Order: sequence, then C-alpha cells, then structure tokens
Amino acid sequence: MEQYALGVLANAGLLAFLALSAYVLIIAGEMSFGQQAFFAIGAYSAGMLTTLAAMPLAIALLAAAACGALAAGLLGLLSLRLRGLYFSMSTLAVAEMTRICLERFSFQVDGPEGQLIGPNGSAGFGGIRYVFEHGLEQGEFVLLVFAILLTVLLIMYGADRARFGTSLRMVGEDPELASMFGIDVRRVKLIAAAAAGAIAALGGALYAHHNTFIEPGNFDVMLGVHSLCYALIGGLGTPLGPLLGVGIDIFLMEGSRLFQGYRMIAFGALVALFLIVRPRGLLDERMVNLVRSSVRKATQRYFTIMRRKQ
Amino acid sequence: MKYAISAVVLYCCCSAGFGAPIKADLECRPAGAGPVYDCMIRLSDSKSRAPVSDAAFTVSADMPSMPMTHNLRPVPALPQRAAGVYRARLALEMYGKWNVKLRISSPMQDQITKAYDFFEAP
Repeated sequence: MEQYALGVLANAGLLAFLALSAYVLIIAGEMSFGQQAFFAIGAYSAGMLTTLAAMPLAIALLAAAACGALAAGLLGLLSLRLRGLYFSMSTLAVAEMTRICLERFSFQVDGPEGQLIGPNGSAGFGGIRYVFEHGLEQGEFVLLVFAILLTVLLIMYGADRARFGTSLRMVGEDPELASMFGIDVRRVKLIAAAAAGAIAALGGALYAHHNTFIEPGNFDVMLGVHSLCYALIGGLGTPLGPLLGVGIDIFLMEGSRLFQGYRMIAFGALVALFLIVRPRGLLDERMVNLVRSSVRKATQRYFTIMRRKQ
Repeated sequence: MKYAISAVVLYCCCSAGFGAPIKADLECRPAGAGPVYDCMIRLSDSKSRAPVSDAAFTVSADMPSMPMTHNLRPVPALPQRAAGVYRARLALEMYGKWNVKLRISSPMQDQITKAYDFFEAP
C-alpha cells in the first residue's frame, strides 16, 4: 500500500513538470500540444547518459534540461512566428515527428551482463537502473522529485515577480501593446519556450529513472493534451495552478477506479466544464488577487491586535 | 565508437560494483470474462541463469500512451511450485498493449518493465 501511495505521489510530481511546462507557454499566450516531445528528449538523453555513459544522475538531469531548452529554443525560432492555432499545430507536428524519430532511433551497446543496452526503436529503452543500482529507495526518489519540483516552482515565482514575469504576462495578454511598451515580444516568447522545454525535459529525465523503461509510445499526443489541461483546470494565475490541476486529475483517476476504462471520460468532461465555467482555471488571476488581499488583510489585522495587546 | 562506449560502460559498471539484475520472462493467459489475465512470471539471475526463488514483488501495468494516469493498482505476485515461477492476476481495463511492471523488493530492489500485448481471445 505504501509502495502504491509513493507511486501515485511520484506520478503526480512527474506530471507536474509537464503541467508547469505547458503553463509557461500559456502565460506567454501560446498553446502547445507538443510539450511531450521535450519530456521525451529529457527522458532519452538522461537515460542514455546514466546507462551508457555511467554519468551521475545530477549531471544527467542538468544535461537533459539543457537538451530540452536547446530543442525548444530551436523549435521556437522556427515556430514562434506563427500565431494561435497555427503555432499549436506546429508544436503537435514536431512532437509527432520526435516520436516517430524515436521509433527509428537505435543505439545499443554491450552491457555489463553481456546483454544489449540502450534505446532500441519502437521496442523501447529498458534497464535505466541508476536509482536501483545506487540504492535509492522509492521514498527517497519521490523526495528528490518533489525537491526539484519545489526548486523549479521557486524559480518560477521569482521570475513571475521580476520584470520578466510582468513582460511575459503582458506579451501573453496583448503582444502588440507589449511591443509598444518596448518589450521585445519575440525574445520574451523564445525565453519562455526554452524554459518550458527545460522544465519538461527535467520531468522526462526523472520519469525515465522512475520507470526504468521508456518507449516512444509513452510520449504521444495524449500526454501533451493532459499537460495542457492540467494548467487550464488548475488555473493560470499562479504556478501552483497546474499543480492543483494534476492533483485534481490524479485524485479523480484514483478515486474512480470502479469505472475502469470509462473513468477517462470524466477527465474530458471536467476539462469541457472548466473551459465553459472558468476558462482560466480554478486559481485564475482574480482568485489569486482575492486570496492575496485576504491574506494581507488578515496579517495586518493580526499585527494590529498584537500591537494593541502590547 | 560503439566499442569504445561499450568499454567505458563495462568499466564504469564494474568499478561501481553494480548488482546483477534479475531477468524476467512473462506469459499471460486469459482468465475468465473480460480483459482479466493470469500472468506467469519466471525470474532468473541474469548472469548464472539460475531461478530466483523467494522473491517478493508486486505486478502492475501502465498503458503506454498515458503512462502515469492510466494504470493498474499493483498486486502481489504469488510463488508457484516450480522454482523461480510466480503468478499474478491482472484485471486490465481494456485490451491492447500494456507495460507490465514488476517492482521487486527482495532479494534486491529492482524494477523490470515488460511490454505485452493483451488481445481478446478469439
């Protein structure tokens, strides 16, 4: 049971990276259906580094994030000149191209036990055993996932409160107006795309080491659609929104096992409902401002009462 | 290039003192109505090929296209009479390709994932 709960927690943490990745692009005013491509790039690059080159996990994670950022940056250079639906379609096309390339990608070498190790096209890439070979318990790995997730969240909060965050939200709201204020719209969007790629790749790298086996089929369009929906359900007002979206989905999926395969329909219905009732999610900008002002007022009231008592 | 990488991998693996991984063979047969399968799992030492008895592990399954949400709750594998053979019943949600995950807790910590096609019996 404990192992099962830890597995669910790990899955929630890993999906949160994808959700945050989609969130960054939505804030920049673009919807990407292709963040799973960078998740795949991160998974394959980190898996190859720890399995084939016996590199430490930390270096593999950093390298995976760099690969994801580079790939997303390159894609951004080509596709960010497109707008709206055309941009979304281009991301979907690139994600499918990446998946098909991985179906053909084979790089196997002799492993220590005489067996072949490394990616083997559509048969997948197994034996990513770094976590087990280095004696990391499942609980410790879950902690590692959440520690990295927390670091990413803190960086995102920092960026959100800085000038870049304001520029990003302005670009997302109205690129023409942002441009009139002297913001380099293309540069801001490119940085956002690269950051989103890095976040997704980091999640992918952790996923490969959690699962020990990856295959191109893991990174199909369903994963990208889910990541987008997490951000839209949870809310776009704060980086905590996508995490809330993941939490709701995991809770819903785990709580409705009785309905077996039909439970996926509930997720679709939930997304449709949110798009109608709350198009910017539960924790939208209005809700975040409401919570912030309530907390500020409560804190001020508390300090006033404390001062009076003294 | 491939040989050079192989040599580096072999060197790094040996110097780190990695434990020999367990090899698993999987065979599943329909067990009753719907996509319910009895899976026989044969565990062996990847080096000596000797059967691995007294192993403790759970079996779960993930749908490859939605790996982290469309999955089965883990069920414990039960040892059979033959050495190194275990059985687990998987009540899948639908037919198709699933990644069957064996999470081993004894004699060593490991996880083996096998892709398996579960088709409807004719």
